[in-house]
Parts: sequence; structure tokens; C-alpha cells
Amino acid sequence: MMEVVKPVVLSTEGLVAGYERDLPIVRGVDFAVRADELVVVLGPNGAGKSTFVKAIAGLVPVHSGTMALDGADITAVPAHEKIRHGLAFVPQTENIFATLSINDNLLLAADILPKERRAGRIAALYDMFPDLSAHSSRRAGQLSGGQRQMLAVARALIVEPSVLILDEPSAGLSPKIVAEVFARLKEINAQGVTIILVEQNVKAALAIADRAVILVEGEIRHEGTAEGLADDPLVAELYLGVRHDRAEVSP
Amino acid sequence: MNPQALMDGLIAGSMIGLGAIGVTLTYSILRFANFAHGEFVAWGAYFALAVAGALGALFSGLLTPIGPFSFGWALPIAALIAIVLNGGLALLVDALLFGRLRDRRSSIIIMVMASFGAALTLRSLLEFTFTSKPAYFTTALQIAQPLGGGIRATPDQLLSLGVAAVLVIAVHLLLTRTSIGRSMRAVSENVQLAGVVGIEVRKVIRIVWLLGAALACVAGISAGLLVQIRPQMGLDLLLPLFAAAILGGIGSVPGAMLAGLIVGLSEAFAVQLIGAEWRAAIAFIILVLVLLLRPQGLFGRPE
Repeated sequence: MMEVVKPVVLSTEGLVAGYERDLPIVRGVDFAVRADELVVVLGPNGAGKSTFVKAIAGLVPVHSGTMALDGADITAVPAHEKIRHGLAFVPQTENIFATLSINDNLLLAADILPKERRAGRIAALYDMFPDLSAHSSRRAGQLSGGQRQMLAVARALIVEPSVLILDEPSAGLSPKIVAEVFARLKEINAQGVTIILVEQNVKAALAIADRAVILVEGEIRHEGTAEGLADDPLVAELYLGVRHDRAEVSP
Repeated sequence: MNPQALMDGLIAGSMIGLGAIGVTLTYSILRFANFAHGEFVAWGAYFALAVAGALGALFSGLLTPIGPFSFGWALPIAALIAIVLNGGLALLVDALLFGRLRDRRSSIIIMVMASFGAALTLRSLLEFTFTSKPAYFTTALQIAQPLGGGIRATPDQLLSLGVAAVLVIAVHLLLTRTSIGRSMRAVSENVQLAGVVGIEVRKVIRIVWLLGAALACVAGISAGLLVQIRPQMGLDLLLPLFAAAILGGIGSVPGAMLAGLIVGLSEAFAVQLIGAEWRAAIAFIILVLVLLLRPQGLFGRPE
């Protein structure tokens, strides 16, 4: 049976971005994600992975190039409007409002929805994350690392985004919690949310991803299926920090 | 000791508290100490004075005192108009000065220095327009009524206290129970994340200016009603406002009000106990003590 090629949801063309105009960190990235894909962005430290997704989220100035979401150009859309276009972003650190309650964190995200949809969406997210529902009036700052990530993800999902971007959700978490968080992300992806994941935790990320791109010095150097990249010893050793037996690596 | 100091302190404290709420909101959301905030207190009073004067000249019936109070309907109507004008002034200062510096990502110290410049300009403009001669909403004498326990208060004083209490409760409810309040708390905690979740930070900043200017205006009108209106009144309030905002804990509205009352009462008791010449030193002593002993203030979070 022929596999149906899903439409591109998010794409960038020749994207150049960085905090300073004369110091671009992302240098001409062409990137496309299809509906329902889970794509992981990998690369060594300082490769510009975070800057790349932050630029898509509107948090880092774009110097040139374009980006489109569901066919609409969103290059000049300010950060606070991107969520209204269906692009949700979960930053790496400080991704929840620690001084607000769990419920207030979700209410805040729901504020951009029409009034009649807010309660329903919050209830749906509490169903999805019963842990949060049990402590809804607790200050978010009192949550454990894993629960914080779940709250950040729940907060991002409130508006039913078409694309969810996560910047290193495994940072600072124990391997057991990382496995739980990633399993959750895979479930969310299976429910039809396209996910872009920036990760340092290569093994765990490739295990759940459909596809991976490897960013080096602000450019995409390799891309392919997650399985293919995981099995490529040269790519693994050079760019992903995964150690293989020396004899397997050609010079 | 004369128990009347209690009433004097509460009245002065409620005005300080209203001003300190503006300082604490600006500090927590715009992240700089706005030394021009006291000038909004003074401008608020002068806006009300000018509008009430104009209304009185046009419709003399509006000057007839309402019930037990010393003023006619001209003043409450002028107060509402002055609140709008003062909010407009705050937005104008932000558009001309602070907003431009924010867009350039200026450091906090530049914002603070700019606020000193704004304070000087605003104060000089007041002196230029209204002269430095003290002005009054009314020169009618009010008899203070005994309230028991040796304490007396005029109807104007009781009204000022009541208005301050209602406003503090209203602002507290706005911050804790409404979506705009949630947005303000979110911006105060993490401005970048606030943008990511869809909050328009510029809009929140405008609301903070409007709210701060409105409360400053009410404080200025109270000061004008109970004491007098002078271009220097903002400068005189600067230290008490900051002492109260820091004692209350940056970002805490009830904290700013409670601390305002503490500063006002401390000043009033100091006048009784050690002499009127020490009044101005009290706010400074409180400020230094809080910074040394409990920098996060009464309701603030430790850094």
C-alpha cells in the first residue's frame, strides 16, 4: 500500500537568526516538518539548536529568510501572536510561572481562547495529566522537575496547537523521569500534535523520533530517519557524542 | 503621647500606601525604580485642581459642599477627569522616554537615571505652570469630630481613608482574581515566557502605567484635600514611597499599603516623640533597616 505523504506544517527557508545582526547563530536553515511528525533537532553544544527554535518562536531576531506555518508566512509575527497561529513553544528553563498556582498557569494560557472553550480545555488537560489535577491550587514552584515539564507541556497544549516545539525537555531530569516525559511526548504526538524536539539526550530522543536533523555551526549537516542516524557510527561519534568502537569508524 | 498621632499617621500612611502601590507595580513589572512616580502624585493633584477650578467657574453650583464634606461635586468629577489625564501623562512619559529605552534594551541604571530626569522635568513643568505657591481645593474650615479614645477626624479625612481602603482591595482583587491581574503577575515573573504564552507585554505595561498613575492621582488629591498642593509634594513623598514599597515587599499590593501605613504611623509617632524635624528621617531609617535586615520586605520572596 502506498504511504500518504502528509502536508508540511512548519517550514523555514534560508533562515538566518541571532541576537546580534553581525553575528548570526543560525545560518541559512531550510527545514520542513510534516503533519504528525516527531522531529528531533540534534547537534553539538553551541550548534545553534536552541537559537533555531527560539527564532521560530519569535524570541530571537530573524535577520533573513522566511518561516511558514500551515502555509501562512509567520516570519514577522511577534512571539505573543505565534501561539494564536497554532505554534506552541516550551522553553528549556523557567518554562512555568513558579509563583502562580498550577491552575493559574493553565488559566493564563487559556486566556487567548474564546471564553466558552476555556473550562473545557483545562478539564481536558487535567484528564490528560491527573498529577496536575490533584494539586491544581499548589504553587507551580513547588512541583518536581518532571511535574514542571508536564505542566509546561500541558500549558502549551491548552490551545490545541498544530505544532509543539520543546527546547531540551530532558534538561536536569533523572533518566527515569526523562523516559516518562518522552513517553508522554510520544503519546501526545500519536494524538496528532506535530512535535519538534531539541535535545542533547540523543539516545532517548532518537528512540521516540520519526526523523532527526543535525545542526552544526548553525547549518543542517545531516538529516534522515531517526533509525538511520542512530545506526550511522560516523554521525553518532562526530556530532552526537555517542561513543562507538574505534575500529568501526572510518578515518 | 497624644492619641491623635494614630489618626494623623493612618491618613498620611494611606496616601503613602497608594503611591507605593504604583512604585511596587512599576518595579516588579518594568523592573526599575521609577523615581518620577512621586511626580505623578503631584501632577494628579494639579490636574484635579485645574479641572475643579474650571468646573467651578463654569457651574458655580458644583462648588456647594456635599453633605459634611468641605468640597462640592466639582472635586469628585474633576478627580475622575484627573485620573484619566494623569494616566495619559504616564503613557506619554513612557512613549517619549521609558518605552524608547526599553526598545533599546537599556540597562536598569539608565532607566533609573532617566526617571530622575523625568522627575526633574515634570516638577519644573508644574512650577512653571502653577508657580510654587501652595494651592488648595478648598479653604473651608472643617471641624474634626471626636471618634472616641481621644481621636478626632474630619469627614474629609475619613473619606480619604475609606477611598484608600476601597482602592487597595480593588487593586488586590484585580491582581489575584482577573485575567489581566494574572497577566501582570506573569509578566512580573518572566517577561519572555509571558510572551510565549500569548500575553501582549506592551498592553500589560500600559495597564501598569494607567493603574499606577490613577492611584498616584488619588493620593495627590487626598494630600491636596487634607494638607496642601505644592509642586514639591512629589519630591517630599519620594523617600516614604520607596520605603513603603520596599518594606512591603516588591510586587505586593497589600504589602505596599500596610507598609505605607507603617511608614505614615512611624512618622506621626516620631513627630510626637522626638520632634517634627525628624519626620523626614523616619522613612530613610526604615528604608535602611529593611535593606539591611529583610531585603525582601514583609511579603516579598527572598532572591
